Amino acid sequence: MRALQAFFSPNAWNVFRRNLLAWQKYAFSSLAINLMEPFAYFIALGFGLGAYLTLKGHGSLVQFMAPGFMGFTAMNTVTFDSSWGGYERLNFNGVYESMVTAPVQPEEIAAGEYLWEAFRAVMYGLLFLCVIALFGLVHSWLALLCPIALALTGIMYAIPALWVAMLVKTQEHLFYYFSFVVTPTTMIAGVFFPLDRMPRWLQDVAWFTPLYHAVNVFRALVLGTLNWNNAIDLAWMLASIAVLAMLPVRTLRRRLSN
Amino acid sequence: MSPAVLARRLTKRYGALEAVRGIDFAIPPRTCFGFLGPNGAGKTTTMKMIYCRIARTSGDLLVLGMDAARSPKEIKRRIGVVVQETALDPELSVLENLVLYARFFGIGRADAERSARDLLGFISLDGKERSLIRNLSGGMKRRLMIARALVNDPEVLILDEPTTGLDPQARLLVWEKLDSLRSEGKTLVLTSHYMEEAARLCERLVIMDEGRIVTEGTPNELIAEHAAHDVLEVTGRDAAALESVALDGLIRRRERHGETLYLYNADNRSLLRRFSELGVEPERHVARQATLEDVFLNITGRELTE
Repeated sequence: MRALQAFFSPNAWNVFRRNLLAWQKYAFSSLAINLMEPFAYFIALGFGLGAYLTLKGHGSLVQFMAPGFMGFTAMNTVTFDSSWGGYERLNFNGVYESMVTAPVQPEEIAAGEYLWEAFRAVMYGLLFLCVIALFGLVHSWLALLCPIALALTGIMYAIPALWVAMLVKTQEHLFYYFSFVVTPTTMIAGVFFPLDRMPRWLQDVAWFTPLYHAVNVFRALVLGTLNWNNAIDLAWMLASIAVLAMLPVRTLRRRLSN
Repeated sequence: MSPAVLARRLTKRYGALEAVRGIDFAIPPRTCFGFLGPNGAGKTTTMKMIYCRIARTSGDLLVLGMDAARSPKEIKRRIGVVVQETALDPELSVLENLVLYARFFGIGRADAERSARDLLGFISLDGKERSLIRNLSGGMKRRLMIARALVNDPEVLILDEPTTGLDPQARLLVWEKLDSLRSEGKTLVLTSHYMEEAARLCERLVIMDEGRIVTEGTPNELIAEHAAHDVLEVTGRDAAALESVALDGLIRRRERHGETLYLYNADNRSLLRRFSELGVEPERHVARQATLEDVFLNITGRELTE
């Protein structure tokens, strides 16, 4: 409840504003770098590998991967920004320390970071949506609802990334999170290939992966196949946010009180 | 007038380490109050408890009449803090640093920008609005830290080693700004290990060592009580010779540290005259006034404690 209140506090929006001001100074390079990489993989896999195969029951590979890569792009940019940046703001420049020296609460800092990452996911995700629209891979006006799902994806991935950033002792240890958590779960999230021919247990594991649900929703919006299963996906996303949102706050408060 | 900050038996423990050991002090409003001491004396820990960054272990602490444990948010609204390590946002410009910080206090955009520009004038950084933090010198950064601590027009300004690491010119400029803040009626609380700084700025000060307050007073009181008006430093062969000469009535105290003999006395000139009458006038000596440095070293010891 307190986490929810914090989203509406003026200082959460001031933390958001801080990140926006910082981002504006390198907006172009940030957009270029964060979009080029997924775009390159998407083109290579979608049109390259995709030229040799179609997915039984799912159509062309490039069509399958288009909404998946949108989710992947949003997740990637949020994960890196929230963890790498959060670590610096806590440990290097006294940014968080200065905030709590002013009357800003740790939950307002976290809420501001979540709001920022939601915005970031929407920005980068929508740019990717424009790209796949240009390739004629968007088939429904429901795609206009993508920002809502992108924002949820942003918050959903900002929470663990920020938490890990508050926990690790050195910045390089963040790569454990990237390599051992983010990358493997991304592989089974239905970004690159469908899961219906995978072993049952792998599908069960995938169900616990945040990106799996996000990608289900993106695919439904882009193809216009929204159904009640997607309501479960959205509920899963909202529930994970509600359950985990305070986790980084506790760690941040501890780190800022000694 | 009730004190701006009042501490009774204030204690902070980190596990087995007792950083602050039951200290008492009362900081009168509209004065400059100093905490002196060597590194590790507990000065910064005390400051952090005052600005509600860390919780005390026991004792009482009132800031502007409010309990630091119960009303941290209200206290933070009415104080300004310059922390020891420069903590400016490197991704924001000079002006953005000030405006954003003001907005954390609920100050609207237009007011925040106006007062930020005024503050940049006050700390002699006009024209630097759009500069990035990494392009500022150490002295500029420290002055900007002071400006940022003033955005909410605080009644109490806490400065943890405001001039450490600055060159003499930069330090002088910071002192001037602090002087004018004090004459505006703000309460300044600062820590330092520069005696000169404390003597120059503070009306009252305490000397801390190993988590305790070992003495308190005005700079002059402390010099009179713990040193003397003058000090004659004698080095070399003469030091050994003079150490055993009876000097009753001429000096207040003598101390030998390594090769140097310190003679605390009321007036160096009459002491030297007396020495020449006695035929023991030292060749190598330095005659100077006693300073807070002598007080400090007398109390905390001349040996390196780290």
